[in-house]
Amino acid sequence: METVWWASEDLWRKVAIWITAFMTVVLIVLTYDSLHAITAGGESGRVKAYSVINNRVYYKFDKERNLPVPVIGDSAPLFGKTLTEDEAYALVTKGKITTHAKNCMGCHTFLGNGAYYAPDLTKSWLDPAWGSEGVREELMVTFLKDPETNARGFGSDRKMPNLNITDEEAHAIVAYLKWLSTIDTNGFPRNFTPISQEGDR
Amino acid sequence: MFEPVGVNDMMVAAMAGAMIVMFGAAYAFAFALSKLNKKRWLAFAAYGCFAGLTVNVLILAKSLNMNGFWTIVAITMLVGYLLAPQAIWKLSVGTHESSDSK
Amino acid sequence: MSIGTLSFSHLTTGQQLAIKYYSVAVILFAAQVLFGLLAGLQYLRPDFLYEVLDFSVNRMVHVNAMVVWMLYGFMGAIFWLVEEEAGVELVGAKLANLGFWVLTAAVTVVVLVYLFVQIGPGTMESLWFINEGREYIEAPRWADIGIVICLLIFFYNISATFMKGKWSGISGVLVLDLVAVAGLYLAGMFYITNTSVEQYWWWWVIHMWVEATWEVLVGCIMAWGLIKTLGASRKIVTTWLYIEVALMLGSGILGLGHHYFWIGTPEYWFTVGGFFSALEPVPLVAMVVHAVYDSGVHRFKNSNHPALAWFIAHAFGNFFGAGVFGFMHTLPQINLYTHGSQWSSSHGHLAFFGAYATINIAMFYMGIQKWRGDVYMSANIAHSWRWKWALSLLCLGMTGMTIALLISGYEQSFIERALGGATWAAYFEAQQTAWYVQGMVWRQIWGYVFASGLVLLIWDLLTIGKGDTRPMLLPEPAEH
Repeated sequence: METVWWASEDLWRKVAIWITAFMTVVLIVLTYDSLHAITAGGESGRVKAYSVINNRVYYKFDKERNLPVPVIGDSAPLFGKTLTEDEAYALVTKGKITTHAKNCMGCHTFLGNGAYYAPDLTKSWLDPAWGSEGVREELMVTFLKDPETNARGFGSDRKMPNLNITDEEAHAIVAYLKWLSTIDTNGFPRNFTPISQEGDR
Repeated sequence: MFEPVGVNDMMVAAMAGAMIVMFGAAYAFAFALSKLNKKRWLAFAAYGCFAGLTVNVLILAKSLNMNGFWTIVAITMLVGYLLAPQAIWKLSVGTHESSDSK
Repeated sequence: MSIGTLSFSHLTTGQQLAIKYYSVAVILFAAQVLFGLLAGLQYLRPDFLYEVLDFSVNRMVHVNAMVVWMLYGFMGAIFWLVEEEAGVELVGAKLANLGFWVLTAAVTVVVLVYLFVQIGPGTMESLWFINEGREYIEAPRWADIGIVICLLIFFYNISATFMKGKWSGISGVLVLDLVAVAGLYLAGMFYITNTSVEQYWWWWVIHMWVEATWEVLVGCIMAWGLIKTLGASRKIVTTWLYIEVALMLGSGILGLGHHYFWIGTPEYWFTVGGFFSALEPVPLVAMVVHAVYDSGVHRFKNSNHPALAWFIAHAFGNFFGAGVFGFMHTLPQINLYTHGSQWSSSHGHLAFFGAYATINIAMFYMGIQKWRGDVYMSANIAHSWRWKWALSLLCLGMTGMTIALLISGYEQSFIERALGGATWAAYFEAQQTAWYVQGMVWRQIWGYVFASGLVLLIWDLLTIGKGDTRPMLLPEPAEH
């Protein structure tokens, strides 16, 4: 007796191939669309242009989407210098490469991915930990250059090691973190409460 | 798009999620045994497990505020967990039968 | 040539290579556990090895050693079966041997650089020569290229051997899957400033390896193992391999969507990710039926008890790790709280161990059996307490770690995200609550249990079957 057709090796080989091919094609189409949607400075606005670091970043609750979304405010140049898109890209790139070279992901998370030994950095630019808006940039630079002396463990013994971050690298990292905080993450992390800033609404 | 879980329902939702998979496996296990041993009580046990699964899907749907599109997800889950083991049984018999008779 | 003595003459060329791969895999497994223990201890004593071997370094070695030892295990397993499956001798054995040594030398250099150089200045040179700073695929770019070259050599050996000999359903799936494994790695080999785009591709490597191509690889190895150890019918096993591929890739490829909830990607990923994640455990559960059917309809004689026990551990581990612990927090309504917390590490620990460590260990036992001249490994092996205790301690230790991490993870997401404002202050508040700390303490204790199981496992692998002159029980050939 031959195997019934629906249990035959031949049929299932074809099914496996077609399902895999179909899912792969769907994924490729979605990837094409998603990459378009997350282009820096793209029209969807999900990932901002690098020159966004020249402006204030707020989070505002969007009723329709039922989650807080980034809103770009008035001019507030990082370190008091307004940058062109190219300059901003170069600075953010330097910062991003530094976060790779120092293996920040070995302790921290970015967009929630990485390790859980230290706080998520997705919105660290907006974290109330920096006290007030006016001193934030300089505090961040000082902290990055000498995290041991300026430890911010909030009562825990955990402290960031000294990673030999130079002044230039520290400024670049802050630029990267500021840009990172403007990504529309669909409301992640939940309940985030930003630092109070001028013109808060 | 979705309404996040209520603060106090987080544990309930996680446990319901775990129980769905557990009951799913228990249902599959009891169902297969009932087919193998032709015992009625095992079939009852299998559908008892599926009832447990259904209750947990309802709990999950409620705690995770699964409305609209998410209702479809919940229903698909129920149908999938119910039918997949039966389909796999049929396939087990189908794939083995032919070679057994050779 | 006698039974019970280790001798390469018992093995084919490919199997000799497999033993080399397995040996490095076991060493890296031990490294993974050692650095895991160090990193776990730093949660409890942050001063421990501070600025000597920081958490980031230990954690990087911990996860990288895991990825690499599992790959070594898979490569070993494929070298193990390729000649029997193809019916001819390994093609390009010299090259394969060279590939092994080059890859192993590269891995050694990478680990030494991780440990002694650790980090570099913020330039592309650091990414090329020190580490790439991307979780799981931290290996510097030069090593990436080296890995791809070695994988290409590997691919040549395997596919050329099948081409010279004969193809089968299993080898066809295997070779296509290897192309995908190697090809996907390319998605992790470039630098990009846009973090959303970077993580988009990063998940292609991680998810598509772990939840798709590696699973298929394991499916092929299992299929071959079933034919080999249980004498199952090739036709049936092959049909089931296709069914599994259809189910796993049917739900797994777009299951990728559950990683695209929060990285900046559009909202339709909630729909795609939610739907396919809800269905991902269904095949896992349905396969229980087939297992029951098989064990009930056929009474198999088993030729290798420890291997079979680890195959069973694989079935359970995969079910609990990927299925139960995955589905607990995969839907966005709850993942919004749990993503990026110890909850993820709880799931990750059990899933990797259950799905991949177990199957590799099973293959190690099959390897050692043949290396000792097809020595007897069924009931009443001398010192069988060793493998039984190793299995129990490893599984118990892993279960304990997983539950402890889950408790910490729940506490973390509750205090930090649900009650707190997901700020640094909220993060550190959660890290210091009694439940969280207790969870981390117990994780460490269970980690020691796991490590003791590993010591026992290595001892057993080195000694099992030694001096036993009984020949292996042959599985009964398929009764049809």
